[in-house]
Amino acid sequence: MEANRYLRPATLEEAHQILLQDAKNVLLGGGLWLKKSTSSANALVDLSTLGLGAIKDLGNAVEVGAMVSLRDFELSPLLKDIQGGILIEAVGQIMGVAFRNGATIGGSVAGRFPFSDIITPLLALDTTVVFYPHKEMSLKDFLSFKGRLSDILTHVVIKKSKGPSFFKKVKTTALDFAVINVAIANVNGEYRIAIGSRPSVASLAVKSMEVVNGAKKLSPELIVMVADLASEELLYASTGAASAEYRKALARAYVKRGLEEVSK
Amino acid sequence: MKVNFNLNGRNVSYDIPPGEYLADTLRNHSFLSVKKACDEAVCGACTVLLDGRPILSCSFLSARVEGRNVTTVEAVQDDVDEISNFFSDEGADQCGFCNTGLALTILALRKELKNPTDEDIKHFVVGNLCRCSGYQAQFKAIKNYLEAHK
Repeated sequence: MEANRYLRPATLEEAHQILLQDAKNVLLGGGLWLKKSTSSANALVDLSTLGLGAIKDLGNAVEVGAMVSLRDFELSPLLKDIQGGILIEAVGQIMGVAFRNGATIGGSVAGRFPFSDIITPLLALDTTVVFYPHKEMSLKDFLSFKGRLSDILTHVVIKKSKGPSFFKKVKTTALDFAVINVAIANVNGEYRIAIGSRPSVASLAVKSMEVVNGAKKLSPELIVMVADLASEELLYASTGAASAEYRKALARAYVKRGLEEVSK
Repeated sequence: MKVNFNLNGRNVSYDIPPGEYLADTLRNHSFLSVKKACDEAVCGACTVLLDGRPILSCSFLSARVEGRNVTTVEAVQDDVDEISNFFSDEGADQCGFCNTGLALTILALRKELKNPTDEDIKHFVVGNLCRCSGYQAQFKAIKNYLEAHK
């Protein structure tokens, strides 16, 4: 790609100053999708020497540095038991091992890629994103944030929740982007339903969650009703990979299947 | 800009444009075993090892390998010859274009996974596409190779 400079800032403060100087200064995560997202940059800003490559146990949560590779994320013993292993199952379906050795969790989340297979399960869990210099927000709020990000994503913090979960990526071949992906988790008794690659970035099916969480018991009839609602309350669109109608039908089928599994 | 790294056991310093990808840098310096096929981080033909782990060099910026160790098949010729023999035995070769990337992935697999299951093997090599041979023969060859090294 075309770039005038390659910079390795020594501190987050320096990286932030560089980012603010020019809208064409680009922060690098793994850089694997750089070719697809931009053709030129003034400066490429490498964050790999800023100490953002660790996965830390915070007691009730796990803090994942933005420069942790998807492969290290996949292999982390700290993450494998969270919510029945939903994160490991999902991240393992992102391309191949060589891709995941290069791609980073920070790039995957900050990029808010519509096809992301890791944002969807992170959203179904209680995930917080931390930025330099001063913002911390839920992943849900970050995904709905509009405009150019002027802060630097430094960490993703995932609560160590336990309980059943479900993840489904519908794809044509092993290395395809998802036609749709669905993540459902019962986090401390509260159901969370996230649907991504519709083809827009993952969203929570909020109305469906309200119905499920307001019910005393998840009957088969209620599950069918919620699956219908989940397929109706979010927007679906057609692409070369699938029509909006097909995506909607898949959402309905997998929300139903997921709720059946998680509520067992 | 300059990038300094260890390439196949030798320290090198190359002048590169800031936005150049590793596959181009390596090919520009005559490491033509590094193949470019999809050129968009999908097919695995461009796989090289970075500190012993496979990466997709077509989409990995060259500047990112500063101070690190890069391995191409030129450095592991004996291992690759051995893998090739297992592939030949199973009729798993056709055009051979994907072989260099696949061979490096297999070497990384052997190093990283002890006693892998069939599923582990498939999970590890799924990112290396072959357009002509099909995968059953390759899978058998990989299993035989790993079995021989138990």
